[in-house]
Amino acid sequence: MALEEHRESVPVLSFPRQTLVSLLIFAIVWEAMSYFAPSLGIPPFAIPSWLKIAKSIATITPIDVVVTLARVVGALIVSFVLGLALAMAMYRSETLDKYVHPMVRILMAVPVVSWILFAVLWFPGVEFRIGFVLVVVCGPVFLIDTLDAMRNVPRELRHMMRSFRPTTLQFFLKLMLPAIVPTIFTSWKVNISLAIRVVTIAELVGAVTGIGHQLSVAQELFSVSDVFAWTIVLVALLFVLEALVARIEHRLLRWRT
Amino acid sequence: MNTTMSGPPTIEVRGLRKVFRQATSGQQVIAIDRLDLTIQPKEVIAIVGQTGCGKSTFFDMMIGLEPPTEGYIHIGDKSPYGDFDFFRGKMATVFQQDRLLPWRTALDNAKLPLELMGKPEEEQRERALTWLNKLGLSNFVNAYPHELSGGMRQRVAIARAFAVQPEILLADEAFGHLDEVTAAELRDTFLKLARESGATAILITHQLEEAIAVGDRIAVFGKSAKLLADIHVEQWPKERYGELREAIQATLQSQSADPRLNGG
Repeated sequence: MALEEHRESVPVLSFPRQTLVSLLIFAIVWEAMSYFAPSLGIPPFAIPSWLKIAKSIATITPIDVVVTLARVVGALIVSFVLGLALAMAMYRSETLDKYVHPMVRILMAVPVVSWILFAVLWFPGVEFRIGFVLVVVCGPVFLIDTLDAMRNVPRELRHMMRSFRPTTLQFFLKLMLPAIVPTIFTSWKVNISLAIRVVTIAELVGAVTGIGHQLSVAQELFSVSDVFAWTIVLVALLFVLEALVARIEHRLLRWRT
Repeated sequence: MNTTMSGPPTIEVRGLRKVFRQATSGQQVIAIDRLDLTIQPKEVIAIVGQTGCGKSTFFDMMIGLEPPTEGYIHIGDKSPYGDFDFFRGKMATVFQQDRLLPWRTALDNAKLPLELMGKPEEEQRERALTWLNKLGLSNFVNAYPHELSGGMRQRVAIARAFAVQPEILLADEAFGHLDEVTAAELRDTFLKLARESGATAILITHQLEEAIAVGDRIAVFGKSAKLLADIHVEQWPKERYGELREAIQATLQSQSADPRLNGG
């Protein structure tokens, strides 16, 4: 009972006072800049007031948020499955690792913009283009992170496990996978942030839905308040996804507390 | 030869040789040089030797993780390396460190080998609980390893090994890292349970006191696992244990059998 209480006493998420204060200071400074902008020769539309931004937020179309979210989550799941499967294969086969590792490093060095241009030139479908860019950017991160984590599983534990003669599947399911769970969560957090940024850029090119597309429309209309509103949505989306992952992480990694 | 393994089979080691190539210098290192050893069913044997004498390599080969360079280990008529899967559920190990999985509770750690053997969930739980209780951990079955003391963690590791109900038990310096009192207590429990279970037990140690305390028999390994002496402890009355200890120590220092060991 005492153990259970101890485990449950650890807070899942905290929202420190300092964060609130710094956000409040930013909001006040922004509002002041918006108020004084015309007198400083800055066009009023460049720094919209919070009221104007709030009005823009009120006009946000939820379907675009859902579409972007679906693209991010879908592509991350595909990237994770592919990355983990290839990492397991590379862990098992040194030869495969020797051939694939250099290619993965090259993939990781290619700029996101290049991938977007390749996708536009290679594929006709918008959804496939966006999915391709997200997977090709996030997949290697999952692969490298999980492969490194597998290699860092202590030799003593691998030795102990093998002494009980597991099948290959049991070895991965009972030892390797649980052992790399902390790294998997870290990798997910990094990739969520990466995917949110990449999807926005990918949607700017050719998409007719999603937050990136709406940002493009706002830019064409010179509406800084709309750009600001969609950016707030993006940041909020990122925080919500990260909080969700943190909650699952806390649940699955209770043994660490 | 016994292939069904209804009881522990005889272990025969003949001409066993293990040569490693050093990764950095490329030099060959002879870890085990033509070892011959026979271990009878249900025997409790302590293998004693200095650090680096090849004890742990022998241990790895006994559990089938390393192949011999030459010679063989036969358990019944099977090889622990060549017939690796055959020994699932027939052999269990206790290591120097507990090697518990930190994300599993004591109960789940003790269940691990039974899960690998494909035992029904109810049987896994029952067997694991039985052995945890025997090792005095009934109040800690839901504790994670980091919530237990070193001695308690090693008890879980011992429960994990016994839960297999193995025919051959191997322990590699299993009590060496614990304080003297805990080690002695745990060693006694281990031996009592090993004898009750009827398994053949092989204990590897560098501590002479431990070897004398546990073994029906003591195999003294010199460099490259050369068998310097094969001592049947029952031939030595307890009051001569001090002399036995000195003789083993002299054997290890001179790398040749002390004459006193022939007398018994």
